[in-house]
Amino acid sequence: MGLIPDFILDYVSDNTFWTILFIVHALLAVALLGALTHQAVAVLMPVRQPVGAGVPGFVTRFRAVHGPGYAVAVCVLWIVTFFFGAWIYTKYRMYVRIPIEQAGYWKTQGVFELKEHMAVIGLGLLPIYWYFWKNARNPEYDSARKGVTVTLAAFCWFMFLVGHILNNVRGFGS
Amino acid sequence: MSTATNTSSGAATSGSLASSVAFRSFVTVFAIVTPVIYTACEMRNWPLFTYHPGTNKVDLFWAAAVKDEGPAMYWYGWTATTLIVAGVLGLLATKLPESTMRKIPLSLTWIASLAAIPVLIYALRFFWRW
Repeated sequence: MGLIPDFILDYVSDNTFWTILFIVHALLAVALLGALTHQAVAVLMPVRQPVGAGVPGFVTRFRAVHGPGYAVAVCVLWIVTFFFGAWIYTKYRMYVRIPIEQAGYWKTQGVFELKEHMAVIGLGLLPIYWYFWKNARNPEYDSARKGVTVTLAAFCWFMFLVGHILNNVRGFGS
Repeated sequence: MSTATNTSSGAATSGSLASSVAFRSFVTVFAIVTPVIYTACEMRNWPLFTYHPGTNKVDLFWAAAVKDEGPAMYWYGWTATTLIVAGVLGLLATKLPESTMRKIPLSLTWIASLAAIPVLIYALRFFWRW
């Protein structure tokens, strides 16, 4: 059931394939979350002094990242994570959502639906996010760049936490 | 012309997408209309296609779930509708004069996305039951 290239099933079972795909999806989400959080904190609380001045604390080092350097990675990670998530969704709809509904976890399913909506809206923000960060030295875009980056980070946090909750409720193999 | 560009700086290079006025118009409109179109697709149920995961079948536009063949999925279709329509509107925006495009506040790019969330939460009211 689902969309798996036949040659893969010569090496791993159906369940193993979906489990690996889900773990890769989750690991990519961790990387995306880390990159976006660093970048969002950097635009919300930019470091005013060079890091080399004195011994910077953890928070200062956390926000002292080079924001533009994350832009392409964030775009690629969002798209690849989205693609894997969309692939897993075929399996989820059949083997996770139906039992969740039968158990009456309506709000859990509702927040998952919202996660899917945010993933698409975030996808629509990626081109301008990339554009703003490629023009990081243009002060005209400072405010909008901050807004777009923080919005994407907030979406990512919500999606990450909801994904965790859903996996706790009924992960693959349960 | 741009061979000496330091790509790690993130600065725009002349002749690249990052310095293109047309690209700026495209991405601005694309970002603003994506949440609007997606919300409309979700609320009005306008998928470009319907996927039936139980049978691996795809129907054009909206189709009901087939009895004893599992559920129907519309999210892929909503996403496809949204990206295509937003892409077309973005391309049309590239034909507009730059002076017109500069009148669009850039803050709308993220405000539109955030504004769509409460509307989508309302659209999901079926799930908010105690």
